[in-house]
Amino acid sequence: MEPKQITDKLVENIEHLRSLFTHTPDLIIHPVPLKTGQHGVLVYLEGLVDKLSINDHILHPLIYEGNAKTPPRNAVPNGGKTTSASRWSDVEAGLFQGKSALFLEGQPHAVLFDTAGWPQRAIEEPQVESTLKGAHQGFTETASQNIAMVRRYIANRNLKIKQLTVGRRSQTRVYLLYLEDVTHPEVIREMQGRIEKIDIDAVINTGELEQLIEDNPYSPFPQYKVTERPDVAVSHLLQGRAALVVDNSPGVLIGPMVFVSFLQALDDYSTRWMVASFVRLLRFTGLLIGIFLPALYIAAISFHFEILPISLLMSIGESRARVPLPPLMEALLMELTLEMLREAGIRLPSPVGQTVGIVGGIVVGQAAVQAGIVSNIMVIVVSLTAIASFILPDQNMAASIRLIRFPMMLLSAWFGMIGIVIGLTTLVGHLIAAETLGLPYSSPLAPARFGDWKDTFIRIPLQKMLNRPQSAHPVQSTRQSPSAKNRGDDK
Amino acid sequence: MKKYAYNEITTKQFIFFIYKTQIGVGILTMPRTLGEAAGTDAWISILFGYVIALAASCLIILIMSKHPEDTLYDLLPRYFGKWIGNGLSLIFILYCAIAAGLAILSSVFIERMWIVPDSSAFLLIVLFMIPVYTVTRNGLRVLGRYAEFVYLGTVWMYPLLLFSLKESHWLNLLPIAKDGWVPIVSAVKLTVLPFLGFEMAFILYPFLQNKKAAYKGIIIANSISLAVYLLIEILASIFFSPTEVTEYFWPTLILLKRIELPFIERFEIVFLSFYFLVLSMTVIPYLFTAVFGTSQLMGKQDHRVHLRWYTGIFLLIAFFYNPSYTSLDRLLTAWGKYGIFFAYAFPVCLWGYIAVFQWFKRRRFP
Repeated sequence: MEPKQITDKLVENIEHLRSLFTHTPDLIIHPVPLKTGQHGVLVYLEGLVDKLSINDHILHPLIYEGNAKTPPRNAVPNGGKTTSASRWSDVEAGLFQGKSALFLEGQPHAVLFDTAGWPQRAIEEPQVESTLKGAHQGFTETASQNIAMVRRYIANRNLKIKQLTVGRRSQTRVYLLYLEDVTHPEVIREMQGRIEKIDIDAVINTGELEQLIEDNPYSPFPQYKVTERPDVAVSHLLQGRAALVVDNSPGVLIGPMVFVSFLQALDDYSTRWMVASFVRLLRFTGLLIGIFLPALYIAAISFHFEILPISLLMSIGESRARVPLPPLMEALLMELTLEMLREAGIRLPSPVGQTVGIVGGIVVGQAAVQAGIVSNIMVIVVSLTAIASFILPDQNMAASIRLIRFPMMLLSAWFGMIGIVIGLTTLVGHLIAAETLGLPYSSPLAPARFGDWKDTFIRIPLQKMLNRPQSAHPVQSTRQSPSAKNRGDDK
Repeated sequence: MKKYAYNEITTKQFIFFIYKTQIGVGILTMPRTLGEAAGTDAWISILFGYVIALAASCLIILIMSKHPEDTLYDLLPRYFGKWIGNGLSLIFILYCAIAAGLAILSSVFIERMWIVPDSSAFLLIVLFMIPVYTVTRNGLRVLGRYAEFVYLGTVWMYPLLLFSLKESHWLNLLPIAKDGWVPIVSAVKLTVLPFLGFEMAFILYPFLQNKKAAYKGIIIANSISLAVYLLIEILASIFFSPTEVTEYFWPTLILLKRIELPFIERFEIVFLSFYFLVLSMTVIPYLFTAVFGTSQLMGKQDHRVHLRWYTGIFLLIAFFYNPSYTSLDRLLTAWGKYGIFFAYAFPVCLWGYIAVFQWFKRRRFP
């Protein structure tokens, strides 16, 4: 039988420790002759601890200072939390979290010092989420640092943090952040419940966790936002959403999201409202173009050429005269090429990446047209679609939109305009039925909340935005006092 | 206990739900059918029809407000006993199921004739059922959202009809009542049909979040429909000559022919494609009412099982039965008669029965 409790015999404890951690060369077992005459052993995992702090703040005081009266745990000047553990499982968990354990002769427990100090990355600007006007620092892989970055924005004790653990083997620490007086308690309860229900051996990053706690795994659309930027996370917290900081992952998960919020960027609030509104409308146009343009093109030239004016029809006909492929094949060929180019660009090292652009642009774009494989108009349609889908600020959403384009193309090739409208209706039917964390995904369009529309398609001046959006059902809705409204009118 | 609390709908959704159920295939042919009966004075008949529809809708709300937690399917057994009540429910369900089926058949017919004449009707029906199924399998809450979306997504379509004003003559409307009042009154029986759809209130009422707004909601819904019908009827009357309007089968679509844009021609194709959204919102409420009804009768909470049955049976019928336009038209006329019974006569009878029923009850237990 394996003992669960630490005994008061030091030798037995060390023996047991060695039997627990076989083949663990990074486990350091360091004998400590205390100044008080006691025998002790300090145990830690090399690499997870800060050696300097062990030397200066634990070993040095224990060996050279202190007297019999002060217990060793108080003798050590240490900024972190110092606890004592009498169960082996606690010691084991502590060691993996970068703590060092001190065993003493004659004492049936170990003292755990917080000496964590693993290799970590400096705070940098996130590469995948660029901004013009926002802060240029991004989340890192260390949860405590990420939480600190959020706290710096919200200096308020209503920012609550719930610590949860996910993964039997990985013991990944997950922190649920929310504003207690803003976020709806049901949202927090639901999210916490879902995280606690996960029973998996390891969660590597936020993207995995996202899929484990989402409502509808068969939906093409993302139901949570994953961001690497603290200011984005804070902005959503203030709108009454919850943020999930996952240790070891720079992505912070935000929910419950609604469809339109994937088309909004934080920069919208820091640019002037007319510009921001224009950009918003541009994104909605981009969304429609990104989904429907190739399908509309196929429908127009294979079914309803009568809707095109004669001059346009002539130029399309001229350009298509040499093309041997039917419109659907032509469109699929070009769209798939484009997707391959895009995918190739992501993971190639950047020096090689440039070649992709040249090969794609010149060979596919120009040569294919000259060779008569695809028509000029098709190249224009495909490029427009690509640009349209690239202006969506959220990468997950943009990827979904790119995917939906293909069924739309098939529908339009089989049934023309009717097919497109059927596709649209099915899509809408799916969107309005979808709910995340019990809240409607298609808000504020349906259920129509006209109050939220001032921050949906356009963004009205900040002075007029007195309330938080209702889509996350915030408990406290006032955001700005109405007296601020008149500030602009003062002389 | 509130039985339907989870699926509450807002007043806005209630309005759009009823209004969008009312607007359907009918408005595409309305100027012709009314023009045959009442000439250019048909708009007066529409006003009469509106008043009748309004009276019937308010009567429905009055009946439903006596038992605010009941749908029609709960109400009928309460007054008529289990067997007769459920029998009446079954007739209502049948009416709704046939309405849904006919709405799909006529939608497909129009879309096929105008947009994709080469496609097989059955395939189109299968295609139509995809979004219809996607939406209907959800609760009423989602249907309410769908109604809102359909309203917001199609509100741009009606102003487009105003393009026809370029070539219209307001003098066509004069003199008012040139043939006397008889044709106007006789056309009223045609104008009550387009308002069918308010009988959805039989089912919607218990789901309504704010029951006090029910009267307001149903009046607004009928009024929006009235506005649309008046717009179309008047536009058609001043655009066509009184005899010309009866020559076109789909006069409303002819109105769209006046739209000339530099980059698009034959705009009615785009219009009619998007009109599918409106048509689907006629099919879905009736289908839901029928499916919900049978699920209630059998005591099932989840209506999706029955929806699958309905869809299957419907597709089976569509596979073997492919009506021509004349037979479809005959079916629609026959259905219209039942519609008049269920939406207009039924509430009156029910209300009368309830009044007598309660009077007797009071006499017996004073």
